[in-house]
Amino acid sequence: MSGAFVRAAALASALGPDLERAVERLAGAPVAPARDTRVGGAWPYFAIPISGRDWRNRTEAIARSVAEDLRREAAIAPARWAELPCIVGSSSFSVGAWDDGGWAALEPSFEFSSRLARGFGVHGPVTAVNTTCTSGFSALDIALGLIAEGEFREVLVLGAEFANRLTVAGFAGLELLSETGARPCDRERDGLVLGEALAAVLVSAAPAPWRIAALATGMDAHSVTGPAADGAVIANVMRAAMAGARWESAAVDLIKLQSGGGPLADSAEANAVRDLFAPVPRAVSLKGALGHTLGASGPAELALLLASLARGRVPETWGFAKPDGEAGLAPSGGDAGGVRRVLFNLSGFGGSVMSLALEKAA
Amino acid sequence: MYLLAPTALRIAPDDFPGRVRARFASELRRAGRFAQLCLLGAQACLDAAGGDGPLAVLWASEFGALHATRAALDEGLRRGEPAMPFAFIAAQPHLAGALLAQRSHPVTRTACLYLAADAWPSLPQLAQRWLAECDRVLVGCVEESRAAGAAHRTDWCLLQKKPAAGAVRCERSLKADDAAAAAAEDWIPRVAAWRGSGHAPLLLRGGEDAWSFTSNG
Repeated sequence: MSGAFVRAAALASALGPDLERAVERLAGAPVAPARDTRVGGAWPYFAIPISGRDWRNRTEAIARSVAEDLRREAAIAPARWAELPCIVGSSSFSVGAWDDGGWAALEPSFEFSSRLARGFGVHGPVTAVNTTCTSGFSALDIALGLIAEGEFREVLVLGAEFANRLTVAGFAGLELLSETGARPCDRERDGLVLGEALAAVLVSAAPAPWRIAALATGMDAHSVTGPAADGAVIANVMRAAMAGARWESAAVDLIKLQSGGGPLADSAEANAVRDLFAPVPRAVSLKGALGHTLGASGPAELALLLASLARGRVPETWGFAKPDGEAGLAPSGGDAGGVRRVLFNLSGFGGSVMSLALEKAA
Repeated sequence: MYLLAPTALRIAPDDFPGRVRARFASELRRAGRFAQLCLLGAQACLDAAGGDGPLAVLWASEFGALHATRAALDEGLRRGEPAMPFAFIAAQPHLAGALLAQRSHPVTRTACLYLAADAWPSLPQLAQRWLAECDRVLVGCVEESRAAGAAHRTDWCLLQKKPAAGAVRCERSLKADDAAAAAAEDWIPRVAAWRGSGHAPLLLRGGEDAWSFTSNG
């Protein structure tokens, strides 16, 4: 059982430059991703609506915006804030700088992460981690360890994925992208839509509304680009998260699915969920609204989900319209009154699988 | 915790393809230089350590998959076309973990860290945390050559909960002032050189953090 809590969170995403606007927009009608010619060419892409002179200048502007929001919500004394350690999770770090400036503009990932941390005004130790799509939760995992060992009372976790041509071109080359839009769990789903996000989560030993009850990890090496069809590793990791939290499966009120619209990956997760739950609890996917923000997706979706729940709503799953009878998952939004325990799935490229158990603390 | 099989490989770039072919035949042809380098070192360490059972794998680099990233950017994107799948995959430094798992080692979790050169103590510290949930953690520091004449570097050791013949006891130390400064590129080679020397415990520091290495009997 973890003694860590989510003290504050902030997010810049395609839904808006801050969490407040993102939640408002998510409560409205779905918005289609743009065709961003800077990075995606013909592919739809969920871009953050913040502009900048060039890639580096833009990422700094995004970081400033998210940092201001987080500091306001965290309400920590400046001296304590300055000493925070920062763990950055990303699958691409600064590779987008190449798009504007070529090789001269690229920074080593650790230096980029350090600059990002300084942009947040924190000067404690910096660690950068890449486990591809689960990078943000790998950063959270490191943060939980630092808190559990008493090294720090609070740790800043950043999930960072900024627009870049390499990632879009790579996913396009692997034929994992949809040409139209993300349709998580939908029977007509035909691929992912990528997106960018910068999410910040302040994890604390001090009680806050949501406690991180457990974070479980696993490895599905069936293929470097996707999970095994049976979803067995995903099921084992979800099971481990529930065991770590000391929950029975019937205690889970909501599952935040990894589901991003990939035909095979969504089916594997659906198999895992059906293996563990009967009946299947309420479920939600956020990738139809944010896009798959890869290394940022854990913190980004965590920030967005908790902000929605705080306003009393389980978000609708944008892009989901026609249930896939074979997969058997039908996400549904609505009133969040009874949601006290959330199982939060994440998995990705390279086989990393994670599941977070979140419990309402009060 | 206990450290086994500290293994430090320095491979001249011209020798590298032959070393990969000799160890893995042609099966890693598309994995990219960084992953190949990770696997060469990791496999050498595992061969030396022996044993079996599930592994967690944790490795660090300052620059990551430089060669593959450069190739993917230069060859794919300038034409404005989708990147070749294997070029993109090779640019992902974390994928070495999956490739190691596919080589019949049951791998429970992996992470690739980017660290400053003096932040290497984060590796044994994180490995120790992981050992609460698994028996063995394979730890590496890997860097591709970035200059003419410089060797590729792939250093690995196996950390485990249980003592074993030839294992070194490995503990976080509060005596950072007494420790010799070490960096990511030399802490494992120094442990390897010290091991079996019969001397007093080895105390190494990175940043403000220190670790002691003691012969286990």
